[in-house]
Amino acid sequence: MDSVRSPDWPAAPLGGLAANSAAARYGTPSGPAPAVGRAQPPHPAEPAYPPAHPPAPPAPVAGPRPEAHPGRRAAPPVPVKILIAGGFGVGKTTTVGAISEIAPLTTEAEMTSAGIGIDDPGARSAKTTTTVAMDFGCVTIDRSLKLYLFGTPGQARFGFMWDDLARGALGALVVVDSSRLDDCYPVVDYFEQAGLPFVVGVNAFDGRLALDLDAIRWALAIGEHVPLVRFDARDRLSVRDTLLVVLDRALQRATRDRGA
Amino acid sequence: MTPDAGGEGDPEQRVRIRPYLRAPVAGAAASAPDPGPEGPRPFVLTAGRVASADPAIGLETQVTAEPGASDDEVALLPPELQAIIALCAEPISVAEISARTRLHFGVTRVLVGDLRAAGHLEVHLGPGDGASDPELILRVIDGLRAIS
Repeated sequence: MDSVRSPDWPAAPLGGLAANSAAARYGTPSGPAPAVGRAQPPHPAEPAYPPAHPPAPPAPVAGPRPEAHPGRRAAPPVPVKILIAGGFGVGKTTTVGAISEIAPLTTEAEMTSAGIGIDDPGARSAKTTTTVAMDFGCVTIDRSLKLYLFGTPGQARFGFMWDDLARGALGALVVVDSSRLDDCYPVVDYFEQAGLPFVVGVNAFDGRLALDLDAIRWALAIGEHVPLVRFDARDRLSVRDTLLVVLDRALQRATRDRGA
Repeated sequence: MTPDAGGEGDPEQRVRIRPYLRAPVAGAAASAPDPGPEGPRPFVLTAGRVASADPAIGLETQVTAEPGASDDEVALLPPELQAIIALCAEPISVAEISARTRLHFGVTRVLVGDLRAAGHLEVHLGPGDGASDPELILRVIDGLRAIS
């Protein structure tokens, strides 16, 4: 089975963009997403925007109109999110893509002047501004619950976005490459200070680790309470089990907070 | 003006190209000017505003189109805003809007806040602290376990 769907997924498509299935809604990345500047006209023969839109015949294939089915408005799902953090090339996007029901999408966040000066953009970089690409995916748990996975860079210079990301997050998975540990220190520090439950997942490239887990735990100086697991970012079940470890930590915190 | 007239610098360090141009010295070549961004800068769309109307709008916040919005009003909006409204026919997250419209997330957040204020979009800000609800986490755990 290629895509993840809950058994009670609504079967009847509503037509057009409104079809309530992951495949119809997201399709492939090169699908008919309305690119900016080429907005789908809300209705045919719409005079205000002449560019690239000759007056279309009033065919029944009208664009998506929210008014088309007013009585059939399902409440949106409750979103929950887990962060996938790590340095460049450690397998964040692979991790997201392994379990997401959509091909990972990319959104961009601009590193604004707020981040400059606080976060050193690095000796190798002469740039004063940069654009951060964040890959994300989602898993529909059921009709009223949707899990989002956001991949975020783990270096200190991306710290300006962690506050936004961490707000309301269930927990985080810090992906590390056993041969390059240094990229993840800042984000581990951040999650520790923010009190966000996190798990360190060592991505076993080619099934091998450059160091054993004890040595990695020592090098990262993480406490005994932080799970350190080895996983394969390409394997759906391996990613699933690793996320379950994250959720287990999140559950521990939630029940502890509830009891307190 | 003779060809030598342009050489008031030290001629042995700068290669002169006829008639009056000089090839850049080695140091200048290294610091070639940034070609600059293509197209307008991202926050032009928000008239420079970077702070959203509602800071509680997050990446995963769900957005739907307001059912009462009239097509005529929507047709008068800029194409970027029309694209956002078209995407919101079904519940969608702000992050997905950002990815699908290829707008920066910060820009998207401001625009979504604007559209909400104008009554075109409904932004579903939940109770906000799902992270502290054990039942919710248990449902996510069960849902993930069902993946095979």
